[in-house]
Amino acid sequence: MAIQNYNELNSLELDALKEIGSIGTGNAATALSSMIGKQVRIEVPEVRIMGYNEAIEWIGGPEEITAGVLVRISGQISGIMLSVQQLDFVNLVLGSMLNKHVEDYDGLHEMECSALVEVGNIMISTFINALSGLSGISIELTVPAFTVDMQGAIMTVPMAEYGGQSDYIMTIGGDFVCEGKKTPCRLLLSPEIRSLNYLLGKLGVSSGR
Amino acid sequence: MKMAKEHGMLVTYALGSCIGVCLYDAKIKLGAMVHIMLPLNMETGRTNTMKYADTGIRETIKRMESKGALRSRITAKIAGGAKMFAVSGGGALGNIGQRNIESVHMCLKRESVPILKEDVGGGLARTLLFDVSSGMGCVRCYGKPELII
Repeated sequence: MAIQNYNELNSLELDALKEIGSIGTGNAATALSSMIGKQVRIEVPEVRIMGYNEAIEWIGGPEEITAGVLVRISGQISGIMLSVQQLDFVNLVLGSMLNKHVEDYDGLHEMECSALVEVGNIMISTFINALSGLSGISIELTVPAFTVDMQGAIMTVPMAEYGGQSDYIMTIGGDFVCEGKKTPCRLLLSPEIRSLNYLLGKLGVSSGR
Repeated sequence: MKMAKEHGMLVTYALGSCIGVCLYDAKIKLGAMVHIMLPLNMETGRTNTMKYADTGIRETIKRMESKGALRSRITAKIAGGAKMFAVSGGGALGNIGQRNIESVHMCLKRESVPILKEDVGGGLARTLLFDVSSGMGCVRCYGKPELII
């Protein structure tokens, strides 16, 4: 039987998703590392199923300004993938790629934004490529969209998109560690619930139902 | 949904495509704020009715009436409904804000609640504050001065 809600996932299924997160984030970190020419390690990725308020607290407060790159996933599965780039991460990327440092998000001009979109896009695409290869599902991606705004509002984008199906949001992803410094770049994959069932079926872990 | 009487500040943070609806009965200084996430409640057996424009607004008005508000005195101020990401190719994603705005307008009209002021649409997230003692709303936006509604 297919699940209707994220919190019906059993531990085997969560483990499978965690593995996806691990492989996806690992690949994305490798891509990031080659782009910025620095060593990038990853924290153990997490699969989190959160209510709205919990998700906002987890990401660090609703009104905090942050940059976000969003890509829509379509094809055999659909969903949303977000790269939430907090200021430390922004400076890491800009420092390595453009030799620039910004004090706040007002310092981002066209060139800087473009660099961030591209880094986000490449990391997301790498993540999805890994997922696609692992599960044998063909996945298409849209052109990335970029915004700088309150992170609470950025988080509500996947919530609003799938809010009709669930009061919860599921995120798969993890943090990066670059040069010994923890850099909270968060790659978040929010699959649509039917796609999640399909994905789990493809991975062969939903047989127990 | 949050409600306060005579004094207090109602706040809803970081409204993206969501809409904050402040309903207010000025005579008894009863204010309520509801955070609308989606335009229509099409689910059966949903426990959380407050996040949909149609059921959320109706339910909030009902609860205000049970606290002594009169429907004919209730007014509304709304903010939100932004388009957070300009996704090429359109799709439902970019339209949720606009659909929310239209649905909230329609629902308030159906309940004969006049909208005194609004700050909707655009591409920026908003934080909405509502002072119950004065009936004044305030919209906070990244990179813009505060707006009184």
